[in-house]
Amino acid sequence: MNPKLFFKFVSISFQKQVTYRFDCFIGIVNGFLYVFIFTSLWKALYSQFGTTMHNGFTLTAIITYAVLVMAVRISFTMDDSIIYRKVMDGSIAMELIRPTSFFFMNLAENVGHSLFHIMARTFPIVIMSIFLFDISIPFEPVRFLAFLFSFLAGYILISMLNFAAGLLAFWFVEIFPFMLFKYALFTFFAGGIVPIDFFPEFLKPLVNFLPFQYMLYFPTVILTGRVPLAEVHSIIISQLIWILIMGVICNLMWSAGKKKLVIQGG
Amino acid sequence: MQQDNIAIEVKRLRKEFKLSSSGKGFLGKLKALFHRKHKIITAVNDIDFKIRRGEFVGYVGENGAGKSTTIKMLTGILVPTSGTANVNGIVPFKDRKKNAAKIGVVFGQRTQLWWDLPVRESFDLLRVIFRVSRLDFDRQMTKLDEALGLRPLLEMPVRKLSLGQRMRCDIAASLIHNPPVLFLDEPTIGLDVLAKQSVRNFLSEINRTEGTTIILTTHDMNDIEQLCKRLIIIEEGKIIFDGETGFLKQKFVHEKVIEVEFYEDDCVMQGIPGVTVVREQGCKKWLTVDNDSSGIGEVIGAIAFRYKIKDISVKEPSVESIIRNIYDNRVKLPLPSGKTIT
Repeated sequence: MNPKLFFKFVSISFQKQVTYRFDCFIGIVNGFLYVFIFTSLWKALYSQFGTTMHNGFTLTAIITYAVLVMAVRISFTMDDSIIYRKVMDGSIAMELIRPTSFFFMNLAENVGHSLFHIMARTFPIVIMSIFLFDISIPFEPVRFLAFLFSFLAGYILISMLNFAAGLLAFWFVEIFPFMLFKYALFTFFAGGIVPIDFFPEFLKPLVNFLPFQYMLYFPTVILTGRVPLAEVHSIIISQLIWILIMGVICNLMWSAGKKKLVIQGG
Repeated sequence: MQQDNIAIEVKRLRKEFKLSSSGKGFLGKLKALFHRKHKIITAVNDIDFKIRRGEFVGYVGENGAGKSTTIKMLTGILVPTSGTANVNGIVPFKDRKKNAAKIGVVFGQRTQLWWDLPVRESFDLLRVIFRVSRLDFDRQMTKLDEALGLRPLLEMPVRKLSLGQRMRCDIAASLIHNPPVLFLDEPTIGLDVLAKQSVRNFLSEINRTEGTTIILTTHDMNDIEQLCKRLIIIEEGKIIFDGETGFLKQKFVHEKVIEVEFYEDDCVMQGIPGVTVVREQGCKKWLTVDNDSSGIGEVIGAIAFRYKIKDISVKEPSVESIIRNIYDNRVKLPLPSGKTIT
């Protein structure tokens, strides 16, 4: 797809978000509340158990993780009901009559959405947290660059996950239950609540088998400095492999789903 | 091989939809949870047709006859259950994007413009999407503006346009890349008489000057009468007529309509052979006369003999009334090719 067109649609989607200012305000409060809850929980837990280190995390490290994983998660905010709505009201037909890729149009819409949330929510929350909590982020430009790569790869993975989940609307009239399930799987297995290091042993094979850890956990731990710089490239390669796998899945679902598609409302 | 003068070719095209019934009432719904009944609906049933370049074809049928489903398969939105189609030498459901670049589409009840953007920006986006050069775009816009009067609308956001204004913009939007084939699905729906006429004039002009092949779906038979030389009628997914609109009129006019105004309003038409009263309004009556059983002159004579007539006129039946007859199954259609489908 033409990059110029892609960014045009990113910008349209971004501008659309700007119009919902109250939403954004609530979003900041909501995000900050989460950060506050999780950091408080960790502080309570760590003071309860006395030791300074659990599963390789000091209190500062775990609070840094809690803040940053939430920051990454907020940056990944996208509307995962777009496809569902377009199928429900039949407006998907108007997109399919254009010589554009449905996936990339969808991605552009998501990117615009996310860019807004990064500017309006991620930055304020991170800045506030730096003043309010004991956070340590290693200052290494190479690491930050690696984080950006990993962050982008994670973003593409999440877009693909949402795309595939959204395509279920081609088969099912109601996909909300699937979305809830996806949300639960993602929140837990991507390390959104507890870093994967805290997971019990029996869950670890499953975690490694699933793509979720490459969406939130790894980009976050690259930034916090938990991963040595020498290991970063293997993480990014794994992410790229997962992008390929998800790409194949999305493609298969798209080809199969097209045959199932029904345009509502004539 | 693809013949050069063929714009659209459809072969045994079929689309089935699966309809699952969820059962009636509480128990029925509960049962449906475990055992769901499926019903297969055939929206388009193995249809064939060919449309040459430059043709203006009316594609009509009742609601749910399969018109829109056909159009959606030809525009690459829906994938057929079986059969093939070829538009500009491209199979739309295999090469959706390639096909989309070479067709224009208007779905009357939807818009392809961006709801929140001014019309001008929507057009500009479409220009980039369809990779139209600035120069070609400006030239085309001048033409479209002249014919459709777009200038006053350009700065308005789409959601503020009236239906007629929006439709003009949507028609312009479908032509930004000057496509060789144009699909119009009810483009005159909800338009007032003037707007309808200006849209019709424009369509007939681009068909004539640009040689654009146009497939028009409509419920307004005036559209068909004024625009379409060729008519395809679809009913329950099957094509029941495919031929010249004029041919339809010639062959299937089995009745004429007489509009009579009497001095009294209690005139009875019973006993005059071949006459049926279709509508009454005070002293005015609309009668249909069956051509096969009696001549128009005899009928008028018989009426004049009984009552004093204030005013009388004989009307040619419109394509609409012919098609209404076809829908009502009152007319059996021999296809021009000689096959008879009842």
